[in-house]
Amino acid sequence: MKIILNKIKTQRRYRLLLSCLLILIAFFIATDFQPIGRKKTKKLVIGAFTGSYWDLQNGYAYKILDEAIEEYKKENPEVEVEYVSGITRDDYQEWLAEQMAQGKMPDVFFVPSDDFSNFAQIGAMMNLNVFIKKDKDFHLENFYKKTLQSGSYKNVQYALPYECAPTLMMVNKTLLREKEVKLSGKEWTWGDFYNACEKVGRQLEADTDQYGVINYGWQDAFAANNVKLFNSKGTECDFTSANIYEAILFLERLSKLPQGRVTSAMDFYKGRVAFEPMLFSEYRAYISSEFSAQNYADFDWSYTTMPAGTSGKNISRLDTLNVAMYSETRNPKEAWEFMKVLTASEKIQSKIFDYSEGISPLINVTEDPQIAAHVKESYGVTLDRDVISYAMENAVTDVKFNSYHDAETEVSSAVNSILDAKTNIQMEQIIWNRRINSYLKKIK
Amino acid sequence: MTENGKISSYENSIDTVSYQLFRFMLIFNGIVVLFNTMVTAHAIHGFIIEGNVFELITKFHLRMPYWKIPLIVILLYISLLSLLSIECHNHIELIVKLWLEIMACFGICFFSGFSYTGMVLLILADVMRNRIDWKKKLFYIMGLACYDLVLNSSLPASYMNVLSIKTIWSYYRYDVETMLTGAINIMFLLNVFAFIMYMVFLTLEQMSEKERISMLYEELSEVNSRLEKANKQLEAYTEESVRAAETRERNRFAQEIHDTLGHALTGIVTGIEACIMLMDIAPDATKEQLKAIEEVARQGITDVRQSVKALRPDALERMELKDALLKIIDETQRSTGISIKFECDASLVNFSTDEEEAIYRIVQEGVTNAIRHGKATEIFINITRVNDLLNIRIKDNGIGCSKIHKGFGLHHMEERLALLNGKLEYEGSDGFTINASVPIRWGSGEEEQSKKEAEYD
Repeated sequence: MKIILNKIKTQRRYRLLLSCLLILIAFFIATDFQPIGRKKTKKLVIGAFTGSYWDLQNGYAYKILDEAIEEYKKENPEVEVEYVSGITRDDYQEWLAEQMAQGKMPDVFFVPSDDFSNFAQIGAMMNLNVFIKKDKDFHLENFYKKTLQSGSYKNVQYALPYECAPTLMMVNKTLLREKEVKLSGKEWTWGDFYNACEKVGRQLEADTDQYGVINYGWQDAFAANNVKLFNSKGTECDFTSANIYEAILFLERLSKLPQGRVTSAMDFYKGRVAFEPMLFSEYRAYISSEFSAQNYADFDWSYTTMPAGTSGKNISRLDTLNVAMYSETRNPKEAWEFMKVLTASEKIQSKIFDYSEGISPLINVTEDPQIAAHVKESYGVTLDRDVISYAMENAVTDVKFNSYHDAETEVSSAVNSILDAKTNIQMEQIIWNRRINSYLKKIK
Repeated sequence: MTENGKISSYENSIDTVSYQLFRFMLIFNGIVVLFNTMVTAHAIHGFIIEGNVFELITKFHLRMPYWKIPLIVILLYISLLSLLSIECHNHIELIVKLWLEIMACFGICFFSGFSYTGMVLLILADVMRNRIDWKKKLFYIMGLACYDLVLNSSLPASYMNVLSIKTIWSYYRYDVETMLTGAINIMFLLNVFAFIMYMVFLTLEQMSEKERISMLYEELSEVNSRLEKANKQLEAYTEESVRAAETRERNRFAQEIHDTLGHALTGIVTGIEACIMLMDIAPDATKEQLKAIEEVARQGITDVRQSVKALRPDALERMELKDALLKIIDETQRSTGISIKFECDASLVNFSTDEEEAIYRIVQEGVTNAIRHGKATEIFINITRVNDLLNIRIKDNGIGCSKIHKGFGLHHMEERLALLNGKLEYEGSDGFTINASVPIRWGSGEEEQSKKEAEYD
């Protein structure tokens, strides 16, 4: 030892060797290098949360995941698959971050839509394009196109959709029939929507317990009128466009209807409201709970597409739960196989209709008449193939960026203040545009 | 001595300052890097304990457990230290070393979120220490300056998604964070200041070295001129001593001539004078006298011969020709290990000195040539007498030569022989052979031969 130390002190070659060695060691520590000879049994860790993505407790916390692991084990018995149970939906984000900071990040993890762009920006998700291209058994065409969009960032597919839910317009058919309002099918417009609301409202002036619509927010109106609010990085906001003007104008008209906007969410379930936009998952959760409790509402309700704006189409907002692979995973092949089982296996995907509230991103599963029949029979939920397929075709996924929620809040207050102020809308738009943009600059 | 002592002590003091500054920078940067990375690790740890890690994750990708960061940074800094201590002997070594240093430095910066880049100045300081020409030095300085600019710009930090110190340190209370950031900034400035000081002292050192070199040069030229003077003196002295030797020799000659010739001639002259006077009166007495004079003259000749012999320095002159030849052959054999066969069936007495000299020189030269040019291992010398010619044959088993360039040796032999009406022949096809023939001028040869013949009869 002393001799080596002495040589290092005196000989240049030994010192060069020492420095190279140290750099190499540092590199190996940094990349978590393991010699190829030492192959341990491969282990996949899955990042998942308990309960449903849709903020609903359904008692089937890890049911689908367990079945997927079982399915995966059939093909890959040598791979161990693990997940940490008990992480709640609220803690999931922080839990993932902690795992990352401690170098224990799961190989495959569920990505809530709020976190997707964040993980994409910091490069924590593996680029899946290579896997997709190589894998002959995997077909992107099997998925609804719009669900795939939610997992792609800058033309790179970083995540695969596991479960999704479009916003649909719930319709109280009983109420509409009473007021002799007829809807003109899937491709209905703001005009039809307004007329229906007006009719429901006007004829019930004396009875303020009944309304045309509740919870129709600016997000729905903007989506319907083809508004592109933020750029993809969330650095700029265009709040002055004519489409926004039209949307705000429409919201203003709606708000002038008697008690148009101000009600509680339960009113719809009480049969006092004609329309309410809802995620499919909310609808499904309510219906199945009512169904299981044998507690039918005394009105007939179903869903249809969202009304189209003057400059837009019948567009639903889509929320998707994705599955992604950690970019530094040691077993990318195994992780990819597992992701495939979770997302592309029809057998596993069909379980979504049993154990969760969303719909499958696989076209064949969601539009399978057998499954529709099964769902209707077991849970009383109607899978209107026509409406869902149309809504999925025309869905949009919100541009999500870091601090999207802060920006959204800012726009909310902008819209609300314009609606309340009753001044020149376009003038206010310009003022708010400036304020929102400077805010975006600040939070970046 | 005192002058040298002064120079070295002056140089030492400057040397110490720049070297000490460099060492200070090494230690100082180490402390800063350690401080930086430790605070960062502590802050990340704090985030985890407080359950706010997601705030960090929104800004960058933590690729590894946070405790690895200080470990890697320390390892890289030690490797940088060891690299900086290596002296380079050539340009390639310098380039390899620089690349490794830049890599290590980049690693350190990467893992500390490009918040402190003072190590580049260290590398630059190290490059300045190297003795390379200023063009290359300028090139390296520009390169490192660009490297420093890139590191300090926010480009790598934003493109590589590295941890951002600003975000991580926001874990601390605002005033603490400001203090910490301020401390890093001050340390950065201190490092820059140390670097400037280092450069100033390095320049001073190099200037003093130039001065020292010019001083040494002056000293050298002074010594040189002294040496020249001494040389001239020596030359004069040699000349003088040669002249003294000449004078001494002349005196010896004069003494010798005076003692021998002078003595004999005086005797002869006195005798002849007596003879002239006696000639007419007593012819018999004159005869007696002339006989006596002859005696004196003969004695004189013997004396002259003896003194000439005594004056000549060569072995040849001190002994008989044959003995001289045997001696030189024996000496050559002993000194070179070459076998020389010497056969001589002729009598070598009674040759005149110039003939003896010629024969001796021919043998000497022939042997020397055979060894030097022919690389021979065996030499045959054969001296025979055919009628009135003495034949000397020198043959060797050396490489010989197809084309003979007459060198000084052969030329000289020919000239010597020509003076004696002799001949020289040579050929180099099988080894080298010299055939020299010298005409014998004295009659005794014939007498001898006839004597021999008589004996045979």
